[in-house]
Amino acid sequence: MRAILKHERRALLGDRLQVLLLGLFALICLSASLRGAQYREALEEAAAAFEAEHLERAADWRERVVAVESGDVAPEDDVFAGLAMDVARPAVAAPGPLADFSRGVTDVHPFTARVALWRSVDRLFGNYQFQSPNEIRAGKLDLAFAVLFVMPLLMIALTFGALSRDRDSGRLGLLLSHPVSVRAVVRSKLLVRLGAVFAILVAALLAGLFIGAGGVPGGERLGRFGFWFLAASGYFAFWTGAIHWFVSLNRRSETTAMMMIGFWVLNGLVGPAVLAAAAQLIHPAPSQLAFLSTAREVSNEAYRSRADVMRGMLLDHPELTVENYTIPEYIRVSYLVNETVDRAVEPVLEEFEAVQDRRQSFLSLVQYAAPAALAMLSINEISGTDLARQVRFEGEVRDYKRAIARHVEAKVLAGERLTVAEVDAVPAYAFREGDLGAVGRSVLFPVGYLFGLGLLAAALARRNLARLQTRFREA
Amino acid sequence: MIRAIARKEFTQYWRDGRVVTVFGIVALLGLAATVTGWSAVSTMERERASAVAMDREIWDTQGLKNPHTAAHFSRYAFQPTFNLAVFDPGLTDYVGNAIWLEAHYRDPAALRPVEDAVEIQRIAQLNPAWVIQVFGPLLIFILLYGAVAAERESGTLRQLLAAGMRPVSLLLGKAVSAFSLTGLLVFGVLLGSAFLMSAEGIERLPDTGLRTAALAALYLVYLAIFVFLALGVSALSSRSRTALAGLMGIWIVATILGPRIGPDVAGALAPAPPAHEFTARLQRESSDPFWGGSDEAVQRRQQVLDDILAEYGVETVEELPINYDGHLLQESEEFANDVFDALYDELWGSYERQRAIARVFALFSPTIAAQNVSMALAGTDIHAYRHFADEAEQFRREFVLLLNQEMIDHGGADGYAYVSGNDFWRQNPDFAYTAPGIGDAVRGVRGDVIILLLWFAMAVAVAALGVRRGFLGEVAA
Repeated sequence: MRAILKHERRALLGDRLQVLLLGLFALICLSASLRGAQYREALEEAAAAFEAEHLERAADWRERVVAVESGDVAPEDDVFAGLAMDVARPAVAAPGPLADFSRGVTDVHPFTARVALWRSVDRLFGNYQFQSPNEIRAGKLDLAFAVLFVMPLLMIALTFGALSRDRDSGRLGLLLSHPVSVRAVVRSKLLVRLGAVFAILVAALLAGLFIGAGGVPGGERLGRFGFWFLAASGYFAFWTGAIHWFVSLNRRSETTAMMMIGFWVLNGLVGPAVLAAAAQLIHPAPSQLAFLSTAREVSNEAYRSRADVMRGMLLDHPELTVENYTIPEYIRVSYLVNETVDRAVEPVLEEFEAVQDRRQSFLSLVQYAAPAALAMLSINEISGTDLARQVRFEGEVRDYKRAIARHVEAKVLAGERLTVAEVDAVPAYAFREGDLGAVGRSVLFPVGYLFGLGLLAAALARRNLARLQTRFREA
Repeated sequence: MIRAIARKEFTQYWRDGRVVTVFGIVALLGLAATVTGWSAVSTMERERASAVAMDREIWDTQGLKNPHTAAHFSRYAFQPTFNLAVFDPGLTDYVGNAIWLEAHYRDPAALRPVEDAVEIQRIAQLNPAWVIQVFGPLLIFILLYGAVAAERESGTLRQLLAAGMRPVSLLLGKAVSAFSLTGLLVFGVLLGSAFLMSAEGIERLPDTGLRTAALAALYLVYLAIFVFLALGVSALSSRSRTALAGLMGIWIVATILGPRIGPDVAGALAPAPPAHEFTARLQRESSDPFWGGSDEAVQRRQQVLDDILAEYGVETVEELPINYDGHLLQESEEFANDVFDALYDELWGSYERQRAIARVFALFSPTIAAQNVSMALAGTDIHAYRHFADEAEQFRREFVLLLNQEMIDHGGADGYAYVSGNDFWRQNPDFAYTAPGIGDAVRGVRGDVIILLLWFAMAVAVAALGVRRGFLGEVAA
């Protein structure tokens, strides 16, 4: 066995093409790590800059309230200081802990919001759609892509002739006439070739871990990395088992290669494309345009019947009836119009979330039909770049707006200033990453399934190879 | 002779279960993709028609309102999804469907379908053009990898040549058979798409007939490139195994890695301005220098006042025969419009630079060039999107001017208290969009067409080299 291994190692190193392919894979992984780190850093900087800018604005605004309250500025000199309607706070979801490993959906969704009462919930996230559509469409060359798509191709390129090359050249019979088992031969070949791929994978992931962290990684990142590594290893194990099985079928080289490529296409391209189309066909999202129209219609209607809206509000809250109302009327009207819009579009937004939930449930069942899709979903969840996290953030931002509205509503409607104490008591938003344990529990079964599939395929391959050996001996 | 060889090849394909299976799967995918594409486009168009009608109704019935307040509420420009998007949706899912035409600001298109899509759609999106772009070459390589190499391995090549078979005839016979089979796929998918896209409720792109013919020509050239490449590689390879490995390498680089690596590198070399920075700049540079409290802004407003007073030869605002507030608002629009032009030119410029860099990768991957041309012909590329966005912006400016003019002309001393009613809103025009013709559409992809033709010439050269080296070597032997 050791001799075979040594021979295989020498054969691998002597094959320039195979060494070149391994080098290319390492290069792609390194490039993905560097680009991923840049990407995550840019997201972090953008998030931090946005938060800092808006907190600074909020601080300046608070200073005006302090100035009026302390008597430094006469109230009539700054009528709008402390205007409750002007309360605005940033809400930011920092990039996921491993957003540099897998960008997931982060390139198309907002991660910042200026939560202000002047904006109805349909406009909370402002304008963020400036990315290049060509770039989004093409997708990113991140570590997830390298692992899910490039790695299996490399594994195929290195191993498709593992047994069939000997078979094609008529050496297999000669080989098996020696006291050596075909299982040991195949195992050695796969061990050397796929071992090299795995070594590069480990090195690339470790490089990514440190490059993305810009030094020693922290606890959260390390924990997530552990799961990421497990998922990548599971996918590697799945492909190792599958390749082992294809090789054990002992077909001609080109037939083996075609079967492997066909499997890669079905697993990596056709499967995800069909599952995505099915999920969207079975659980269609509500129309975004209808959502927009609803929001506008309600806004228009509320504005048109603002007198009624105002009367209704005062009937509900007679304590807010004030005399000598000095704040312009349109401010109260805007608040009530936005409030009406928020309430009206809430069911539609809930339906958007419900559809995503239903699609998620559907995919969590059918993902097992396409391991590439399953691995991608798990990897995104571990990286903190999945759609569910994004949906949660957007929902939390809307809740946050409601919390601010509850806090200042009475003052908006009564046209009174906020006091410094009230300004300081405005709730703050902090996005919390999903619990590491929960992430682990969520991906455990899918990742276990990948290992299981790999083991099953390897077991079947062992059986096939044993039969092959017997056939040769009998012959 | 060529016909006889082609017939023999067809018989062989038919008997080879692998070929029938692969062709069946690809044809099925093409069919599923066509139906899915039609379903998506007809849904989008139905929703758009409903939104357009609703937008008009909301505008017409907004009641008494100051025209400038109405300009803030404003209207939307909804991007049509044209019929050829059934075949190649291109960027349809990645650009917004609606642009808000509000006063003081040029908004990007919002409501991108990709934001509602499941995340695994980012791996691959099922559509007819993608099926041909990715699976057409794969099918060709499977059909042709052994075209010459397998004949050589089995010894039949020498026999054929000894019997007087001309190498070119053999090669063309095999090319015709593989090309016909994959061409059948292209025509099947295109015909299916053409049938479905003529369904009621889907808007026709100008020059649809010409565009469809051009798409058919494009994909035939695209597939011919792979046919000749496959024949050349097969003829130059000593074994069919080597030919297959080489062709699979070409397929992976051309259709999987190239289209992803190209735009990724382009994005790194010529990044688009980050969204938050761009939004902040739009706000800062279009509004603050006019409405802010800086000396520059105060002077600018003073200049507007001085100019209008001079124009009417009066001393005070009260003496003006027009509403000054409306005039000032319109002046601010004019100021902001120049800023929007400059900033959006910068944004579009970055997209263009990315496209130019990504095009370099088309030298390694004809799929990139084919995708660019296909999207342009289908009216779903960045050029088509920009055309729509620019038209919408032009309409926004005219529309806001119309509303401000109403205030200028009739606002008098009431200013912001002046209100217009439904009679006025009903007179306001709708945004009517006409997509550019085929000439304009393909202007931006001339480079891609040239690259595709170069690829074609190169593929023919490889096949010719295969004939010279592969066959003549055999003759010599």
